[in-house]
Amino acid sequence: MIAPLVKKEILSNLLSYKFIVVFLMTILLTALSMGIMYRDFDARYADYMLIRPGAGDLITMTPPNPFSVLARGLDESIGRSYEINIHDVVVRSGQKSNNLIFRFFPTPDLLYTVQVVLSLAALLFGFDQVCREREQGTLKLLLSHSVSRGELLLSKWVGNFLTLVLPFLTVFLLALLLLQLDPRFSLSWEGWLRLGLMLFLFLLYVALFLSLGILVSTLAKRAATSLVILLFLWAALVFLLPNLTTLAARQMVEVPSVRGLSEKRQQIWTREILLGIRDFDPKAGQQGVASSWRRHFDVVNHEQDAMEEEYRHRFGRLVSVAKSLNRLSPVASFVYGVNAVAGTGIEEESRYKEEVLRYKNRVYKGLIDKSMLGKEVSFPAFHYRYRSLGETFREGLWFDLFWLALFTVLFVVASAVAFLRYDVR
Amino acid sequence: MISQEIVLEAKDLSKRYEDGQLALDHIHLTLRRGQIYSLLGANGAGKTTTINLFLDFLKPTTGQAFVCGIDVEKEPLEAKKHLAFVSENVMLYGNFTARQNLEFFAKLGGRILTKEDVYALLRRVSLQEKAFEQRVKSFSKGMRQKVGLAIAIAKDSDVILLDEPTSGLDPKAAEEFQVILKELRAEGKGILMSTHDIFRAQEVADKVGIMKEGRLVLERSREELFEEDLVKIYLDYMGSPRSMGERGGRA
Repeated sequence: MIAPLVKKEILSNLLSYKFIVVFLMTILLTALSMGIMYRDFDARYADYMLIRPGAGDLITMTPPNPFSVLARGLDESIGRSYEINIHDVVVRSGQKSNNLIFRFFPTPDLLYTVQVVLSLAALLFGFDQVCREREQGTLKLLLSHSVSRGELLLSKWVGNFLTLVLPFLTVFLLALLLLQLDPRFSLSWEGWLRLGLMLFLFLLYVALFLSLGILVSTLAKRAATSLVILLFLWAALVFLLPNLTTLAARQMVEVPSVRGLSEKRQQIWTREILLGIRDFDPKAGQQGVASSWRRHFDVVNHEQDAMEEEYRHRFGRLVSVAKSLNRLSPVASFVYGVNAVAGTGIEEESRYKEEVLRYKNRVYKGLIDKSMLGKEVSFPAFHYRYRSLGETFREGLWFDLFWLALFTVLFVVASAVAFLRYDVR
Repeated sequence: MISQEIVLEAKDLSKRYEDGQLALDHIHLTLRRGQIYSLLGANGAGKTTTINLFLDFLKPTTGQAFVCGIDVEKEPLEAKKHLAFVSENVMLYGNFTARQNLEFFAKLGGRILTKEDVYALLRRVSLQEKAFEQRVKSFSKGMRQKVGLAIAIAKDSDVILLDEPTSGLDPKAAEEFQVILKELRAEGKGILMSTHDIFRAQEVADKVGIMKEGRLVLERSREELFEEDLVKIYLDYMGSPRSMGERGGRA
């Protein structure tokens, strides 16, 4: 019995202006987003090829992540180059986007398009599913047939979901095929798995908002009321809640400013240089002088590492609190999930910085020997390995997937319960 | 020869809403195959509530509603297989044509119709040919009622429930409607029709019930109505000034 109902929903949607608008908008924005982000990736890749470190350079850098075309996240920050010298790890520029507009407006990647536009489209499809049928009077005619309310609701869900995602999937897959022509986008099996998981998250997110739309349409008596409620909920879930909870987290956890940290580093360096000059003993010979300076540099290195660790600890707490609060809105789980799968998330950036510090400590001894004793030292090249999908899953992705699915199931169950008690008269 | 089996039955059926209002008060009625039963009564008398209970749109407070012997409350989907429904104001999917609407609802009723079948049904309810492939959002109420009736016929169910189907129709359309009802009766359908139209009820019904304040206060067969004036009886029960005066006169 469900097949004719699903077909009716699809046909009904295809014949509506709403579908034409959403269809054109989805195709246009998805294609535009992927086009713009591909160009951005291309420019950043060209920058990387220009400034990438040569053999023996103590510079850490990693090429742009191909998945940043879909979810840019913190890729620019992850790809930033760091210069390692005797007294500090200095951030160099690198992989900066050529598109200045990105600094004024949110990056128009596919994640943003789905997060903002497709969620709104899903609500526009869902808001009147039940109450409009009741207002029009077609619900009575439908339910006078041997159709259960569960079947009717399920058919509405399936029919609208298919109508919503098919245009998106078509453009998405077409764009992926085009990207495959570029060798930088050739993916390993794990890459394809990541892509599949991202797609699953996109679809789950659309399902979440469609379910919310249908839920409100079963609770509201009128379609106009349902639309107003849903627009408010959309703004709250997509914009208000994530921003407000981030601000709240900042109030709850204190993190020193990057500028303050940098000044403190400078102070430590200056202090140890002055102490080194005081301790300078020309009679100690080259080995003695080197050994004396080395002690001071060790202190600098040790204190700076401790400072960095303290900063990272606090920053980690801020991130953790902010993420927990953000997840009051399932939209945050979606954003964190997609970025984690793409390898452009906050954990990846954190891991990259840790990797840079580890690299610094690996090369530190050689750096001192080269600087103090003029020894010829060959340094290992820096190489960053992204977290595997398994690691990503264990380190939080599972929760975001679970959280999104839980909200979706809750909305579906709540709308089913509400519809079973619905007064169709 | 049409069998005389009961296709619709209300046993001690009552409905009290959550706000305490008693919409239906212990009614009993039966409808046999090949019969038209007209329910008369003022607005709020309980006619539509009775139909809603047979359609499982409402749950009864007491009693049972049966369709072809099936308890509606216990097996609503099974009961609805034997039912078709035409409301006072048939509403269809505006973006679909008359043919698409009919095809869709026939499928829900378990029937796959060819284009010719659909056209034949639409012709039977006297819908203009040029409207067959037009979107129904431009249809008048009369045209929608015709498509609604075609949907009910397409289902080929044992019982047809009609909730004031001719209200607001022009006399010609109402007459056409009546002709089709008689045909359906001849085919052995049981038809329960709520209406305000006493004259049409008297003309077409095999049984008439008058409802007042949720109670079925009077029931008359077609034969009984040959000897009585239904209009007078109705107005008597509704308490019109004229009939009250007459009653007073008699007293």
